[in-house]
Amino acid sequence: MQGMDTETVTLFLALLAVVAQVAVLVCLLLFVTGHRRQVADAIGPQALALAACVAVVATLGSLYFSEVAHFTPCKLCWYQRIAMYPLAPMLVIAAVRRDLGIRLYAAVLAAIGAVIATYHVVLERYPTLESTVCDPANPCTLIWVKRFGYLTIPGMALSGFALILVLLAVARPEEP
Amino acid sequence: MPSKRPPWLWIGLAGVVLVALIAAVVASSGGSTAKAAPGVEETRPVTVTGNPLPALPDSGTDPAIGQVAPTLTGATFDGTPLTIGNDGKAKLVLFVAHWCPHCQREVPLLVTYLKSHTLPAGVELLTVATATNASQPNYPPSTWLQKAGWTAPVLADSADGTAAAAYGLPGFPYLVGLDASGKVVGRITGEFTTDTFASLAQAVAGG
Repeated sequence: MQGMDTETVTLFLALLAVVAQVAVLVCLLLFVTGHRRQVADAIGPQALALAACVAVVATLGSLYFSEVAHFTPCKLCWYQRIAMYPLAPMLVIAAVRRDLGIRLYAAVLAAIGAVIATYHVVLERYPTLESTVCDPANPCTLIWVKRFGYLTIPGMALSGFALILVLLAVARPEEP
Repeated sequence: MPSKRPPWLWIGLAGVVLVALIAAVVASSGGSTAKAAPGVEETRPVTVTGNPLPALPDSGTDPAIGQVAPTLTGATFDGTPLTIGNDGKAKLVLFVAHWCPHCQREVPLLVTYLKSHTLPAGVELLTVATATNASQPNYPPSTWLQKAGWTAPVLADSADGTAAAAYGLPGFPYLVGLDASGKVVGRITGEFTTDTFASLAQAVAGG
């Protein structure tokens, strides 16, 4: 039963990560084709709240993996958590207060998280990058979850960080 | 001021989340978890006779060279008794962990090599499946090694890694070469090439 539940939640989080990836790709495509203003007009006023949702879901998902599914976080996981966890309350508060001043602070945290997550994904793909020995304790090359043939936990984290960055880029004040 | 427009964005988002949730529940219900064949145990008790080997240091001379390795008495996954010890045969003992990506790369490399090469006369290859943990990826090791086409006998280490500790395991994979008198000729940790494997096999045969 426990196994099936973990399976369901993992698949759910993986599907959300795919949705995030699609959203990021669509937005980036619209940005490079010069439609950033239209994107900002469409979702700008809700962007902070959306970003807050992403950070909260990512934080809860991360806690589910470590506390319920008992996947042990490695060193790189912890660095990504350091970037993601503060974003959850920060973005929620900013969304409630409609405080767009959060954008720079949150973007820096999300960018740091995205860089670490990218490195973690590369390390999972190329485990010999750092070493050819598996530390018996808890190596970062250990892949706990892999869905759809490519999506691992740091891959999900990267999707979350990327979507938060895109949403921060289009966040606008509410129309008067 | 509340927006006059209906919150299409949030309705759409809720719809997407709901679809993802339903898809996850549907896709994972009825999915069976991997079950081992009857009689197969992934970990089994291991008895150690003799002095344990010191841990392999990161660099410098290996203090275990020339020391007689302890005898490991246990069983394979299916319960067949297996002893790795002083039986007058030179041997290579490979320690692998099912969840370790480096072991997952090393095993197929060796499988391919062993298909077209034979070990020097009198040298046998033995395996220890250690650090076995049902909550970690690529479990169970018996299925993994079978699917990989691994044919050398596999000793199932105990849940707390008795065999690995007795051999001074520093990391995975870990290869120990013993000569015909049971003395350590060489120890390697981390991914190794088939050339390294072949030269250790040659070294234990000549010892």
